[in-house]
Amino acid sequence: MTREAWVLGAASNRFGKMKESGREAGARVALEAIQTAGIEPKDIGYTFVANAFGLSEKQAHVGPLINTALGIPEVPSCTVESACSSSSAALHEAFVHVAGGFLDAALVVGVEKLSQLDTLTATSYFAIGADYPFESHNGATFPGLYATIADAHMKRYGTRREQLGAVSVKNHLNASLNPHAHFQKPITMDTYLESPMIATPLRLYDCCPFSDGAAALVVVAAEKYPNPHTEPLVIRASARAGSIADMHDRPDLTSLPASQRAAQTAFRQARVEPGQIDFMEVHDCFTIAELVALEDMGFFPRGQAGAATAEGLTARDGKLPVNPSGGLKAKGHPVSATGASQVVEIFEQFNGLAGPRAVPKTSVALAHNVGATGSSASVHIFGRR
Amino acid sequence: MSDASAPPGPPAEPSAAHSIREFEHGYEEEQRLRGFRSACGFVTATWGLRCPRCGRRDLTEFALSGKGTVAAYTVQNVPSDEFVNDAPYAYVLVDLDEGGRLSGWMPSVRAVGDLSIGDRVRWVPSYKPGVQFERDPTPASAPKA
Repeated sequence: MTREAWVLGAASNRFGKMKESGREAGARVALEAIQTAGIEPKDIGYTFVANAFGLSEKQAHVGPLINTALGIPEVPSCTVESACSSSSAALHEAFVHVAGGFLDAALVVGVEKLSQLDTLTATSYFAIGADYPFESHNGATFPGLYATIADAHMKRYGTRREQLGAVSVKNHLNASLNPHAHFQKPITMDTYLESPMIATPLRLYDCCPFSDGAAALVVVAAEKYPNPHTEPLVIRASARAGSIADMHDRPDLTSLPASQRAAQTAFRQARVEPGQIDFMEVHDCFTIAELVALEDMGFFPRGQAGAATAEGLTARDGKLPVNPSGGLKAKGHPVSATGASQVVEIFEQFNGLAGPRAVPKTSVALAHNVGATGSSASVHIFGRR
Repeated sequence: MSDASAPPGPPAEPSAAHSIREFEHGYEEEQRLRGFRSACGFVTATWGLRCPRCGRRDLTEFALSGKGTVAAYTVQNVPSDEFVNDAPYAYVLVDLDEGGRLSGWMPSVRAVGDLSIGDRVRWVPSYKPGVQFERDPTPASAPKA
């Protein structure tokens, strides 16, 4: 790492159903992030866009459209695709360029609009993110793939459906305090247990929704901005990892090796231990994913994240708050906006903008974002100046 | 054969691992389930040019029996478009008798009580492009590789 990089500005829209197109929403949150950072669009040296399913809007190459709308058409851009981890991958690219001295300021924009698709078409789009001939042709859907993880986890560790339900109830409660969230109401355990079965053992309230949404970040070189207008997030680690793409070819169905590897690299880069993390945003596309993520990253021993969640350890006011934003489960999961939106939550927590969902301690935070069933993973760790 | 003992010069690519179409052709028309065993012992039925575990190129093709035990499964009520007329059905991960794991679908499993982890299943040729399994009524005979 050659020089310190910060997230100086961050913005998100309300997740859910967007009336406007991805390009409009992306440009709007980008401008808001730039204004939050207290800089001008002309200061941006590169725009990294994440928009994995842009083709569902019949639009590719959305970077120049956003830059043109921002009045900076001469600024280069590209689209970074890593399925559900697209915008954390874009953040990693921004970080590498800024920390490496190639850019002084970079813009990260994650945006997705899928609400124009019916559930069948959206499920089919998501299946494209798996190995199409070797998983999707064999009958897998995304809920189905994570359902097999849940099945294996329950069988091996005795994880119970009430423990999965505890993840859902917690994240819906947090989302009810988040104005950016798709879902704004808490749910009860009974609501969870009575919700329709999607892919056994996963019920509707185990699954994140199809959401539209946009989030943007401004990444700058610390040395170029000696008097920041915000409490910037110091990027203490920016790590990515991959693993065998097909879940059936991985040795352990109850673990995502890419999460393990990315977390190990991130902890090493940041020189922190899991015990030093004050709170985190993790990739809970399904309830089981939050438990597996906490175990893969070393926050709980194997098989114990479910009990810890049911005991309230990961609640907003618990010992280790997890997904104070409401997570993918309840804040929503606009695929390519998700990774950036996790960082928006951390930015708001660090800047005292989280209102009633504020967590007790905000010195060191972690963001964990997964692509597909863990063939890609990103882990970022943020600290204070 | 390890890399150290491999002959010098351009490597021979795995015999039939070149095309995904060959796997699909195998399921549908040849009634052959292609498997590859790596020098490290890893068994896969997924297309590739190197072993995903050890990175070596010594992949030996063989015909998988398609028999194994259920490692995990789910009954899916919300399918993707290609299975829209088949739901509910099970998506299963199967530990093969020869080693390795394969995924596939089981149209005969329509409720969670219809199958259990550890049950014996076998591959069955299908009209669909993917891998399909059915219950295997014969006892497990082949020793584990």
